[in-house]
Amino acid sequence: MRNIFERVKQWNTLTRIWHLYDAKWQDPFDSAKVIQKYLKGLHKPIYHPLADCGDHVVVINCKEIAMRGDEWRKRAYFHHTGYAGGGTYTLAWELHDKNPLMIMKKAVYRSMKGNLQRRYTMERLHLYAEENVPQDIIENISSVIPQLRDVPMRLDRMPEDQVKGYPKIWDLPKDYVVR
Amino acid sequence: MLRSITGMNNGLSFMKQMLLSANVRCFSVAAVNRVKEIIVTKDNKKTIIEGILKPSDRVNLLLDPPADTNHEACSICRLDVDIKHTDVLILSQFMRSDGGMLPRRVTGLCRTQQKRMSKLVTMALKAGLMPNLAPANSKRDPARRDKFKKNHRYFDESTIRPPFRMKYPEDRSLH
Ligand SMILES: [Zn+2]
Repeated sequence: MRNIFERVKQWNTLTRIWHLYDAKWQDPFDSAKVIQKYLKGLHKPIYHPLADCGDHVVVINCKEIAMRGDEWRKRAYFHHTGYAGGGTYTLAWELHDKNPLMIMKKAVYRSMKGNLQRRYTMERLHLYAEENVPQDIIENISSVIPQLRDVPMRLDRMPEDQVKGYPKIWDLPKDYVVR
Repeated sequence: MLRSITGMNNGLSFMKQMLLSANVRCFSVAAVNRVKEIIVTKDNKKTIIEGILKPSDRVNLLLDPPADTNHEACSICRLDVDIKHTDVLILSQFMRSDGGMLPRRVTGLCRTQQKRMSKLVTMALKAGLMPNLAPANSKRDPARRDKFKKNHRYFDESTIRPPFRMKYPEDRSLH
């Protein structure tokens, strides 16, 4: 242990860090590719598949995820009960109504290779539909994963003077009747 | 607490692009452009309809085009920015208060940009980013929508077909 920085570097590498990810307006499938790297510990220099060096990731606002274009009604989730004729197809928006965590959970699960370690890696993922996270979990969080997309701002929620005072790129013609 | 850590985006990517771009643009006071307002007054047995010209409220906010601009180009081709469907402060300049798109004879855009802007406006309305520009009783506010329309949606501008040629700074030598 040579100096204070080396010491902190060692803590960061060898302890389980708790990361926070805000899924508001984020694509669940793009986010899953990022989240699974933290869960498996791929961002660490000591990574090895058998090293058990993965971190925890707390995902909040799972209810507010966004999908591209028509994907909410084009993506279907298949489930089979095992009995004859027991197969069902559930559209993404129907599944999201029933369980707002399920799409995110399945996205992270499917982003990883199916091996014996996958179920244990998933145990380190903590999903919450809204911002209300239990206090004993909040206390552990020490890192934030940056969002992949900017959260768009709604025109009716912007301050009035900002909308009025924003630079205009063209002017209305002389005889235009404003309405 | 959580919001203060993660809430860092404001979606004003156009403003960022404008501040970061090499061209220094400033506000100018152009010749006063006027806009017509129609006033209907009703007396007993008499209805007066008069059109009055009044100064447009955009005059003092108009952007100066870049110095080496092509004056034949329309107002969007003149700017070398890539407008996204989340830039609602730009898109709302091409819309009526009921959420309709202004026609090309009013906006003065070229055919390509008019079509592109109308597609971007459609994307922004579908994503529920401009719910205040709507007729009464409409479902442009996502809170009033049902089924798959109530969830958040985003769009990829590269899916707009046909692929529109954007004007970038290196293109200026051609003009
Ligand atoms: Zn043009």
